[in-house]
Amino acid sequence: MAARVLFFGLTADIAQKREMEIPLEAGLSANGLLEELRQQIPGLGGTKLHLSINQKFATGEEIVRDGDELAVFTAVSGG
Amino acid sequence: MNWLYLLLSPVDESMDFFELTTDPIDITNVTRRVVPPECGATVTLDGYARRFTKDKATGEIRETLYLEYEAYEAMALKEMETLVERVKGEFEISNVGIVHRTGKLDIGETSVVISVAAPHRKAAFAACEWLIRELKRTVPIWKKEVYADGEHWVEGESA
Repeated sequence: MAARVLFFGLTADIAQKREMEIPLEAGLSANGLLEELRQQIPGLGGTKLHLSINQKFATGEEIVRDGDELAVFTAVSGG
Repeated sequence: MNWLYLLLSPVDESMDFFELTTDPIDITNVTRRVVPPECGATVTLDGYARRFTKDKATGEIRETLYLEYEAYEAMALKEMETLVERVKGEFEISNVGIVHRTGKLDIGETSVVISVAAPHRKAAFAACEWLIRELKRTVPIWKKEVYADGEHWVEGESA
């Protein structure tokens, strides 16, 4: 089981990559996955992050499933 | 398509559009594409790259050399589609067009165009303001300001 994680803007600069795969334990929440990411990529620690799962904004409470596409990013700033 | 049907059809339901592009945006084209026969006014927002930006925290004014926009394209298009559906439910308007540019933009170049056509102007102004406010809050696009001595990914208001 694994999820794909995408980075954009500042998070892509910090992670120095645009995407990665994260192995999943059953029942892992999006917030749990975010915690794992912060440990793997310490630079993300001081930044307020937002999440999407399968191209929808997520609260973090959601359980991540095999094959999900997550994205981790700072508050959007288009316009 | 039957031409007679086209001539007699009072409202073309397919005139809304939302797009991302790396090319310069033709504002007049966006403005005209939304106009159906029953409308009397189109309000168009032309958002463009600003040269001087005041830092909200320090009050310091910084000069931007150019901007870079990055989009999570698949999700951005879905969120733009949602905005079009929501705005048409909230306001008395006929058609909406939204085009957002991505990639590198020089100062003065247009980053976003929103056009709203309505039978009467008041609803068009209100809907256009609503759309840009919601777009800046919910559409996953990020802006980087590049200065002579560094660069900064702008953080917007949280969704």
